[in-house]
Amino acid sequence: MRIRKLLVTAAVAAIAVFSISCSSAGAIEDTDKIKVGIVFDIGGKNDRSFNAAAWEGVKRAEKELGIILRDVEPGNPTSIEPAMRAFAEKGFDLIIGVGFAQGPIMQRVAEDYPDINFAIIDGVIFEKDGKTPKSNVASLVFREHEGSYLVGMIAAEKSRSNVLGFIGGMNIGLIRRFAKGYEEGAKAVNPNARVIENYVGVTDHAWNNPGKGKELALAQMDSGADVIFTAAGNSGLGAFDAVEQAGRRPEGDPKAFVIGVDSNQNAEKPGFVLTSMVKRVDNAVFEAVKEVKEGRFKGGFHVFGLDKDGVAYALDEYNKPLIPEDVIKRVNEAKEKIISGEIVVTDAMAN
Amino acid sequence: MDEVFVTLTILIFSAIRLATPMIFAALGGMFSERSGVINIALEGLMLGGAFTAAVVTYELSNPYVGFLTALVAGALLASIFAVSVIKFEADQVVAGFGINILMLGVPALLSGAIYGAAGSTEQIAKEYLLPEFARLNVASMLAFALVPVCWYVLFKTPFGLRIRAVGENPEAADAAGVKVLRMRYLGVILSGVLAAAGGAYLAIGQSSFFTKGMSAGKGFIALAALILAKWRPFHVLGACLFFGFTEALAIQLQGAPWAKLPGGESIPVQFIEIIPYVLTIIVLAGFIGLSRAPKALGIPYRKEK
Repeated sequence: MRIRKLLVTAAVAAIAVFSISCSSAGAIEDTDKIKVGIVFDIGGKNDRSFNAAAWEGVKRAEKELGIILRDVEPGNPTSIEPAMRAFAEKGFDLIIGVGFAQGPIMQRVAEDYPDINFAIIDGVIFEKDGKTPKSNVASLVFREHEGSYLVGMIAAEKSRSNVLGFIGGMNIGLIRRFAKGYEEGAKAVNPNARVIENYVGVTDHAWNNPGKGKELALAQMDSGADVIFTAAGNSGLGAFDAVEQAGRRPEGDPKAFVIGVDSNQNAEKPGFVLTSMVKRVDNAVFEAVKEVKEGRFKGGFHVFGLDKDGVAYALDEYNKPLIPEDVIKRVNEAKEKIISGEIVVTDAMAN
Repeated sequence: MDEVFVTLTILIFSAIRLATPMIFAALGGMFSERSGVINIALEGLMLGGAFTAAVVTYELSNPYVGFLTALVAGALLASIFAVSVIKFEADQVVAGFGINILMLGVPALLSGAIYGAAGSTEQIAKEYLLPEFARLNVASMLAFALVPVCWYVLFKTPFGLRIRAVGENPEAADAAGVKVLRMRYLGVILSGVLAAAGGAYLAIGQSSFFTKGMSAGKGFIALAALILAKWRPFHVLGACLFFGFTEALAIQLQGAPWAKLPGGESIPVQFIEIIPYVLTIIVLAGFIGLSRAPKALGIPYRKEK
């Protein structure tokens, strides 16, 4: 009996010593480089859109700032929380959550690990009182309605039919913000412009259903839409296929254009992509990592609008021939007016 | 009147495009279930076909090779399912679900290894997708052509008779000299081939890439269509077109200027989205009457010693 007790004690002691030595080994590594963990949303890091932009940001940080970078692409919504907690358990310096859907999860995890820094893209996280922003979470939010206003202007200038399309992933506040800004921008140029507003679905599938995205685009084109703005992750790429397959008019112009979102998608189907409403998620993520690295990380809202180039319309060699100079001039004037406050774009999430 | 005609044409074409993957999958499911094996794995088999088609077509720039490879992949995947439920007599529903879950993970893993991105593959240029003629994809035409072929095979050939026999009364079939297990293997593998064809259409016909879970429940709807059709080929076509039509209708209703509530507001999209499912329940519950499954469906066969 006594021998068994002794053995158990010895085993416990051995485990204790072992785990201490392990954690001290980890500590030595800590002083070297900061550790950043990123948890993507269901779209995965190569959605050529939102997640891809976040991935670009941390990759740049890895190259320029010398950090230890780990990433997780959750297979389904239930594996997000364990992934986030695993990073927290290992004492990562910054944990980044990509997408609004991770808000409630990060709320819980950040509560349990007050000494670890978190950042969430497109989400806002408060203390328990529901008012003060949580001190260890940076909420990286974008003024999408401002950028959408500008691409709405370009769309209305380019449209011949005065009918525009909008395809959102899910009918939620964040996506309605794109739709509303787009519509206001279009109407500012052409009061007669009409926007057909469609959504892919009501569940997570909505971001990964290109077949449905394509059908919606075809239906919009049948109703006369000749410029379609997508904010639907992978489903949006279905609309890219739809406009490409619609082909060109006899004189060479495409019958319909598509407007990309989040990342610069101009090169996806060159000539058919009018512009992209770029959300510089990469810059926001890079900044967050840099702040942690330089020891000046602050929780709370970090708002990225037109002023900080947090949102913008993409202009490059692929779409320059598609947009006339004078349109670019008018759009840039509007941009200045939005920054100065002369034009106020409705924020569909504010009410 | 003209406008009604145009709207109807648009609806029908949209319904055909949306029904195509389901026709393939449901015809596949028919062979499996007629032979006595419940095939809930259609969703996973479609995803396997879609992923294979997307990768092979992108790498080799040839949609036909991509399509055929997808069929082979579907057959291999279905063989795994077949061995587990026929040889080892695993519960058919559980094993089928296993395939579905497996196919959520495996493409993500492989696309991560090949393209450095878990969940989706590179986009394929338009020239290398399955071509369209007269607004119809060749895969849609193939799906339609397969319906009479499947009918002929199932009801007019010795092979079809044996498939049906082992699904209705395997003991009697065995006594008559039919190799029950072999017929079931063939039925399940054929279902893998056909479901994978539906998946391939999703990835290289309708869309131009693979993305995780892109079948979005179509395999399950195909299964519902199969039951609605009482396991008959032409009825399968009708049921799939019906489901395709309801989905097309939901798509057209979204944002259509004439689809307004009496108050002048648009109908909420969430409401429109449930229309196909509500119609499905009404039809399944109200109109088809008794749906009689093959008698030996779901029961493993063990030869009496």
